[in-house]
Amino acid sequence: MSALRIERVDGVCVARPREDIDAASARRVRDALAECLDEGGDSIVLDLSETRYVDSAGIDMLFRTSELLRERRARLELVIPRESNLARLAAIVALPTVVPVHESVELALAATRETSA
Amino acid sequence: MDASADQASDGAGANERLEIIQQITDSALAYMSLEEMLSELLDRVRGGLEADTAAVLLLDEDRDVLVARAARGLEEEVRQGVRVPVARGFAGRVAAQRRPVVIEDLSRAEVVNPILRQKGIRSLLGVPVQVEGRLIGVLHVGTLVHRAFDDDDIALLQLAADRAAIAIDRAQLTEQRAVTEIMQRTLLPDALPQVPGVRFSAKYLPAGSGVRIGGDWYDVLQLANGRLALVIGDVVGRGVLAASVMSEIRTAVRAYLVEGHELAVVMALLNDMLVSMERRCSATAAIVELDLERGELQAVSAGHLPGLLVGPDGAPALLECRGGPPLGVMTGIEYPIARFQFDAGSALLLYTDGLVERRGESIDEGLRRLAEAGRLAAAGEEASFADRVYRALVDETPLEDDVALLAIESLALGSSFQMTLDTRPAVLAGLRSVIGRWLINAGGHADEVFGMALATSEAAANAIEHAYGVHDGTFTVRCETDGAQARVVVRDSGRWRETHPHGRGRGLELMRSLVDEVDVQRGDGGTTVTLVRRLAGDAG
Repeated sequence: MSALRIERVDGVCVARPREDIDAASARRVRDALAECLDEGGDSIVLDLSETRYVDSAGIDMLFRTSELLRERRARLELVIPRESNLARLAAIVALPTVVPVHESVELALAATRETSA
Repeated sequence: MDASADQASDGAGANERLEIIQQITDSALAYMSLEEMLSELLDRVRGGLEADTAAVLLLDEDRDVLVARAARGLEEEVRQGVRVPVARGFAGRVAAQRRPVVIEDLSRAEVVNPILRQKGIRSLLGVPVQVEGRLIGVLHVGTLVHRAFDDDDIALLQLAADRAAIAIDRAQLTEQRAVTEIMQRTLLPDALPQVPGVRFSAKYLPAGSGVRIGGDWYDVLQLANGRLALVIGDVVGRGVLAASVMSEIRTAVRAYLVEGHELAVVMALLNDMLVSMERRCSATAAIVELDLERGELQAVSAGHLPGLLVGPDGAPALLECRGGPPLGVMTGIEYPIARFQFDAGSALLLYTDGLVERRGESIDEGLRRLAEAGRLAAAGEEASFADRVYRALVDETPLEDDVALLAIESLALGSSFQMTLDTRPAVLAGLRSVIGRWLINAGGHADEVFGMALATSEAAANAIEHAYGVHDGTFTVRCETDGAQARVVVRDSGRWRETHPHGRGRGLELMRSLVDEVDVQRGDGGTTVTLVRRLAGDAG
């Protein structure tokens, strides 16, 4: 099973984790994201609006995956609603300084169009 | 053919008959395996009746066909696995009428099995094989030349059939018992999952009389996000066929659930799968998904009886939901989801119909008795919920059907408790879920709950890493709250790792920002992490 539910919107891969991203699942999520990229497209939107917890292993994976995508001239865009627990967590570890964080999937998709245009 | 062959049947004198009867009724036959016994019996019958062929077909009750099991002079019949529907053809007629049938001239009779004709068999005599009035097969002999089987022949063959019946029945039971044991062992979960703050219990009670395996099953899965899925079902019918269909459905449920489908979709997929298998088999099933942290229960039913839910106040209720029809009847069915509350202190029982169905009683009456048993069980403390309900329901009626029971109790998490967990990353989601439930009950705010749950998970992830290389290790998590603050102590028996290639350093940093106090004590005996989070109180 893929750790992500994947949908393609205008060639952009929109991925939603099926589970929390933690020490148990981080590797599965990373592999699923890499697979997403292998299938084409240059951006991945990872929608975390339904995700409850991301632990330090998960955060570490997000940093690394973002870096990996950058090397391949692709981008990782995160969706984390403001006022959510995850938004506070992202702020604590300064995630938005490295990985772009958006309020909604629509805004994340708009951001991918801007960069590719 | 010369005329003397036609005289053969008249050849046996009284003494010879007696000898033949002794051979056929030789008690040694009863101690052979089914295959050995049948082939020995057929040799003796063929010899004794001076026939050219002899064959035994055994009844497959699930499919209502006779299956060629052993033959002499007709070996192809067995090799080709000849199947004769009951009531059709020669053997089918013997089975349907349950009395001897003689065909003097095969060329003028309906025959299902082409081998009989290909072999050039001219005359046939068949008798039913029965045990205590129950048909288990057909025994027949044939001759290549015309022969008028007489009453003595019929009596002799029937005697052989009666004698063989007991041995065949015994051998079949032994064979089926072995299959049953293996299937039952593999079809029901070895152990129910260990989830903190939750107690599972299950029972499987075979019906009193038979050794035939039932089609009842249950299963428990831990899903992503710490959710739990409970499955129960009942394939119509018994025997190895029902058990094998059950095993296929059970595997499919697991696959669809792990794929992350919604319950309604899982049930619709299962239904389409079962219809497509064309097994002439239907099944009832219910699936329940529990989110213990949010106290949410979703249920979907395919013709299955409603689960019994007992709330924290001890009041029983049935999980009445507008379900769909049983699985395997027709395609394209939609199965609506019903939602219920499942707060800490609640218990849920899923079961198969044998638990509540009694002859001469309406199903509503059975469900009413079940609800009453649920009320009594809720008051009890000892044993598991499944046991308590079963005991409260107990009556003198022997079980007419197999019964499966599966229960889950969400234990009320008091102000302090301790858990021992395996050092496997898979326990983390369940651990966060328990800490979440505990602090929500204690009146914690959303950010306090989130912070403590994630910090505990970080400390636990460290404990799990410490155990690297240790098999079957455990660590403990102790939780205490006095309403003003919550304290969690995570204790392992390994060494704290200062740095780790995968950014565990961030873990400690994260813990410090999520809770008010973090204390790490490292010693030879292990590492103890204490987390304290102040609670603002008056959560609403």
